[in-house]
Amino acid sequence: MKKLFAVILTVMLCPFFAQNALAQDEKILNVYNWSEYIPQDVLTQFTEETGIEINYTTFESNEAMYAKLKLLDGKGYDVVVPSTYFVTLMREQGLLARIDTGKLDNFKHIDPFVLHQPFDPKNEYSVPYMWGSTSLLVNTDHVDPASVTSWHDLLRPEFKGKIILSDDLRDTMGMALLATGHSVNSRSDAELKEAYEFLKQLYPSVRVFDVTATKQAFASEEVIIGMSWNGDATVLTQEMPNLQYIYPREGAPLWLDSLCIPKNAEHKDNAHTFINFLLRPDIAKRIVEEYLYSTPNKAAWELLPEDLKNSRAVSPTAQDLEKSEFCDSVGPALQIYEKYWQMLKTRS
Amino acid sequence: MKILRRTYMWAVYAFLYIPILVVIAYSVNNAKYTTDWKGFTWKWYQQLFSNQQLMDAAANSLMVATVAATCATVLGTLAALCIHRYRFTGRKVLHGLTYVLTVSPDIVMGISLLIFFIFFHIELGFGTLLAAHITLCLPFVTVTVLGRFSEFDEDVVAAAKDLGASEGQAFRHVILPLIMPAVMAGWLLSFTLSMDDVLISFFVTGPNFDILPLRIYSMVRLGVKPDINALSAVLFCLTIVLVLLAHTLSKARRRP
Repeated sequence: MKKLFAVILTVMLCPFFAQNALAQDEKILNVYNWSEYIPQDVLTQFTEETGIEINYTTFESNEAMYAKLKLLDGKGYDVVVPSTYFVTLMREQGLLARIDTGKLDNFKHIDPFVLHQPFDPKNEYSVPYMWGSTSLLVNTDHVDPASVTSWHDLLRPEFKGKIILSDDLRDTMGMALLATGHSVNSRSDAELKEAYEFLKQLYPSVRVFDVTATKQAFASEEVIIGMSWNGDATVLTQEMPNLQYIYPREGAPLWLDSLCIPKNAEHKDNAHTFINFLLRPDIAKRIVEEYLYSTPNKAAWELLPEDLKNSRAVSPTAQDLEKSEFCDSVGPALQIYEKYWQMLKTRS
Repeated sequence: MKILRRTYMWAVYAFLYIPILVVIAYSVNNAKYTTDWKGFTWKWYQQLFSNQQLMDAAANSLMVATVAATCATVLGTLAALCIHRYRFTGRKVLHGLTYVLTVSPDIVMGISLLIFFIFFHIELGFGTLLAAHITLCLPFVTVTVLGRFSEFDEDVVAAAKDLGASEGQAFRHVILPLIMPAVMAGWLLSFTLSMDDVLISFFVTGPNFDILPLRIYSMVRLGVKPDINALSAVLFCLTIVLVLLAHTLSKARRRP
């Protein structure tokens, strides 16, 4: 009986020992990313070329990722992918390690357009991975795309009950700020109030506030115009060619997902190798082709097929983005955003 | 009246099962996002089985659920037996604490376990996830088995002992067969709880151990893809097989 107990105990404890053994092995990389954001064959190729095994786990929101990293004190994961202003937050909280861009031969391919943004002015802590916009998608069966040139067109009476807006407060407030002629990163109560007034006017026309179910909402024709991520828009257009992605003349809120290394990562060298691998033009090209967001990698963009180069959703022109802006951290002013967002949602 | 009653019954079942049937129908629909019927296809199943990350996560989940359910069932049944049959100091407290655990919010359990693991420098991964899931399931098994004990005829055990059975023999030949349905129910309940737990798992799993519910949950950002429909269909069929198996087994047992 005692023997049996000992055997059971050993079997139960095995995983603990096995893990400790693995942690000491240098050929490991723990990636914490959004789901469906790096193709499986890219991961496989990395392992084949370098012999480094990848443990790939996923999160569903920046907040969840931040909470876990904060609790673990930046340990356990080697590469994480926070969005735009979460880089600021994690940097300020001391959760990120410096990235040695000298070790990244492929860093030179990155478009200066996405570098030195306010959330990481010297790019010491983050390397741009993918970026995109949250702009207007229209169903051309019901809407003449040429007639839609501004966010203010959403107010037209024929769109009543047919509009989708993002449920992300920075996206939708950012859009309203642009519509009223302000910066998406405004910290002024007066400007935010104007944005709120615009959304209040728009509110009765909105069918749904959602950003993850955009595809379903357009596919079922429940909505015919509204905000969408450029990647979602492109994917959906492949199935429904009657959709068109439009940049309003006031610009659109932009986002950028960055590759970062947590402060206490155990395999920092492997992390650098991996980031450099993802920046390789042929690899970056495959990632764009799979997920259809915009790549910050100029060399990879050159390799893209003509249809993606000409797609304004994937490859926006300088003119499309003239007034667009990346959403940066707004610090304590976020409370003002939340105040107006609450007022909007409760219609007071 | 009879017709009304029957219609009502079917309405309830329709309400429960139609969503699942819709998912199965979409899993063979040749359209990625649209809700229209675009023809029959197996391609989502092919895509599902070639999605290595998803399959790994599914295998991990099945393994954790099986081991956790089995451990929780053994421990939970023993706890129920202990609370029911023996008198000792703190018995009532123990009994009460079991119920507290069944209603305590998952998030509290998740965070407290994580802090516990961090405090003792235990590496997050399979081991911590398993420990957490056993903790999660244990009180449910105990409560289920205790329920069975409450309508248990003590005289049967007394009779067995009169006929010369030891405590161990009485347990094996008399008590265990009588509480078996509750034990099985406890196991199935634990298996399900472990299979679809997101909140606790999110906190206690480590970078090298991904499980299905977390993976599906994080896929929501890009919208539910058809291969998830296929996966749901496969899991649903597996469940049906399990239930049928349990049903046949219990029937076979009854017929000597």
